[in-house]
Amino acid sequence: MPILTVNNLTKIYESGMIIRRYIEAVKNVSFSIEEGEIVSLVGESGSGKTTTANIILRFLKPTSGEVLVDGKDIWKDINTFEDLKEYRRKVHAVFQDPFSSYNSFYPVDRVLYQALELLDKNPRTQESKSLMEDALIRVGLEPKHILGKYPHQLSGGEKQRLMIARCWLIKPKLIIADEPVSMIDASTRGGIIKLFEKLKEEENTSILFITHDMGLAYYISDKILIMYLGEIVEQGTPDEIISSPRHEYTKNLIGSIPTLYRKWE
Amino acid sequence: MNRPVLQIENARAYYIVENNYVRAIDDISIVIREGEVVGIVGESGSGKTTLSNVMLMNIKRPLSLIDGKVKLYSNGNVIELNKLSREELQKNIWGKETSIIPQSAMNALMPTKKIKDSILDVMKTHFEEIHEKEIIEKVQARFEEVGISKDVIFRYPFELSGGMKQRAVIAIATLLNPRFLIADEPTSALDVSTQKMVLKTIQDLREKEIVKSIAFITHDIATVRQIAETLVVMYAGKIVEISSIEDIIKEPLHPYTRGLLFSVVTPEPEVKKRGIYYIPGTPPNLMYPPPGCRFHPRCEYKLDICDKEEPKLKDVNGRKVACFLY
Amino acid sequence: MWLAMFKPLFKSKKFLISILIFIFIVLLGLVGPILYPVDPTSYAGPFERPPSREFPLGTDTYGGDLLAKVLNGTKTSLYIGFLTAVISMSIGIIIGPISAIKGGVVDEILMSFTNIVLTIPNILLAILIATYLKVRSAEVIAFLLGALGWPWFARAVRSQLLSLINREYVKLSRMAGYNDLRLAFEDLIPGIATYAFMSFILFINGGILGEAGLSLIGLGPTKGVSLGLVLQWAVLMEAVRRGIWWWFVPPGVIIVALTSSLLMITTAMDEVFNPRLREK
Repeated sequence: MPILTVNNLTKIYESGMIIRRYIEAVKNVSFSIEEGEIVSLVGESGSGKTTTANIILRFLKPTSGEVLVDGKDIWKDINTFEDLKEYRRKVHAVFQDPFSSYNSFYPVDRVLYQALELLDKNPRTQESKSLMEDALIRVGLEPKHILGKYPHQLSGGEKQRLMIARCWLIKPKLIIADEPVSMIDASTRGGIIKLFEKLKEEENTSILFITHDMGLAYYISDKILIMYLGEIVEQGTPDEIISSPRHEYTKNLIGSIPTLYRKWE
Repeated sequence: MNRPVLQIENARAYYIVENNYVRAIDDISIVIREGEVVGIVGESGSGKTTLSNVMLMNIKRPLSLIDGKVKLYSNGNVIELNKLSREELQKNIWGKETSIIPQSAMNALMPTKKIKDSILDVMKTHFEEIHEKEIIEKVQARFEEVGISKDVIFRYPFELSGGMKQRAVIAIATLLNPRFLIADEPTSALDVSTQKMVLKTIQDLREKEIVKSIAFITHDIATVRQIAETLVVMYAGKIVEISSIEDIIKEPLHPYTRGLLFSVVTPEPEVKKRGIYYIPGTPPNLMYPPPGCRFHPRCEYKLDICDKEEPKLKDVNGRKVACFLY
Repeated sequence: MWLAMFKPLFKSKKFLISILIFIFIVLLGLVGPILYPVDPTSYAGPFERPPSREFPLGTDTYGGDLLAKVLNGTKTSLYIGFLTAVISMSIGIIIGPISAIKGGVVDEILMSFTNIVLTIPNILLAILIATYLKVRSAEVIAFLLGALGWPWFARAVRSQLLSLINREYVKLSRMAGYNDLRLAFEDLIPGIATYAFMSFILFINGGILGEAGLSLIGLGPTKGVSLGLVLQWAVLMEAVRRGIWWWFVPPGVIIVALTSSLLMITTAMDEVFNPRLREK
């Protein structure tokens, strides 16, 4: 059974009080992710990929269609607070902007405390402390350099690593990674990408990797979905997509990406 | 070897902040020759934008040129730009001899003025007397050369797409056929298909001999690879490697170049075979740069000498690299 | 957390000076009448006397003790300012968040109403209503000013909350299973607290100035004394033309010092808390 199944998802935004206008942000989107699979959702800004993520994360109600996590509909089958908690333990996210992922009022430890609380663990016990330190070491951070610091004292890369440490604590079955490296310096990006790969290998975590960067999608994914104007216009393995794109949009996109090992004609 | 167009000798340009120096450019020498496109790559904070200001001698507080020369070769004469005043540069050099396509072309045009009026304003700073009709005709011809409609001149900037705006700025920046053009991340704010178009436009400028040489500043090796022959790699205010771009892609010499190159992922099978790399740590604070080689705290090949002595750029098989490994 | 937040404020000279002025005037209003227990409405002695040992700030045309009037007037003005702020704040802090969180039709109705109130020139409406009221206590004046002053605050709170709710750290807290109440207390309220506090100060300011404005045209409180009323009588009796400076200078100075110290407190806070203005 796939960990995530999205069936005919549609989201229409309405605006205006008297003259109503409708914007179709997501149109009839269907796909699924198997356990331990990395699937990339590739599209430019405004293509509907972040709206799709927000629906899967249960922040936004779809106009129609369904999202199944582990076979359960996230809108119909979640009724109690316990159901919701169970869902939150299964699906987690890493967002684009490492700076607005932290509330500047609190030390960065808070993101790990929150994770422990979600697991019904008291964050102040010795056991919790060693869990946190272990998670930090796994993502290549030195606990004593991180704990107790405020967000502005860490670099963007460190903040993003800390977000992945949070995922190590929760061990979700599915991570929605929404452009997780687009604001990180190119030379440090690879380290974060490797951490996602490690999660997949060691914990069999599935990842929905949302990006505008075809190179990254090609490198990291088992399957690529191309999204354009709210629709998934093409899907396939990375090599299929790169070597024989079918949709006009994909062809144009792939033809425009600067390549490293070949020079354009 | 072709004649030089612009030459920088031992330039040091520091930002003065609270009685402290930020060593953004520290002892850099570089020659740009006729007919050449030179790529300058580095991470944010490597000093590449400061270098573009030094090339133009667009030095404003808190930045100041502490030491070094900036020479421009113009019709057999050598002009030392660092000796000219800002007014002289504005009147005789900028736009005529050297020019720049700024990083944010989007903001280079006045939003409240038609493109035509912005252009006329610029012209008034160069010439005492201008013939409006003549200029407009010239601009329109140049607009068509860079692939946009000549009617664009009567539009407001907000009426244009990002790619059109960028090409309009390119046309305006090269109106007086400057010898030397700097392109500072001209494509980073555009989406990929527009990026390719703008890149082609810049390439055309040299092929049509509108400009003689170009310095293309970017953080993205894959982009610059499509257009440049020579690559200058900068790290923390220093040049760490200068080589032909083909050589660098085949075999990067400096550990920093290697890290930078191998962190690039493009949709190519070679990338999957090679894997993805990263450089641990962060670039140094240029107020207190590390002693010796500035890259040593992040380098996996660090030798004992690296934190004691500063490596000089030296010739290695016709290439230049500043590293004790060679 | 709160302590660490407000610490940098006390490094700002502007803040320290203005808060000292403000505290001094508040003490004047609160402790003054106790230390100088003279009834401000009684006829104390000879009329229009310049300051002397017996009457430190002199007397007015009816022989009223001006020091007693100014001390009690300061107290009333502060009371009206504070009450105005509480009223405006309460309305704004209810309407803004409901509008932001409910969204949709509720948002549109509440914001239309807010915009209507916003477009009414409120001092004019206050004048109209005040003319119809035969008896006007300090509370009535505060209520009038408070009920008309809240719209900009409600709008600002709404837009700040809207931007906060979509902030990624708020989403991350929700993903950690936070309920709405906990989310509000840990992530939302701290985000708007400094702004609300600054607005509260501006509301106090608006109340004090509004009262003075209404009183000057004879529509202030009908009983008691306030700084505005002292000034009104000074104007009526042509104290300025006749050079009875001890009548209008002290209340004028206090109003100016009070309102400008409050404004300075808010600008100092803005410099400390608003990252865009933060001086490096």
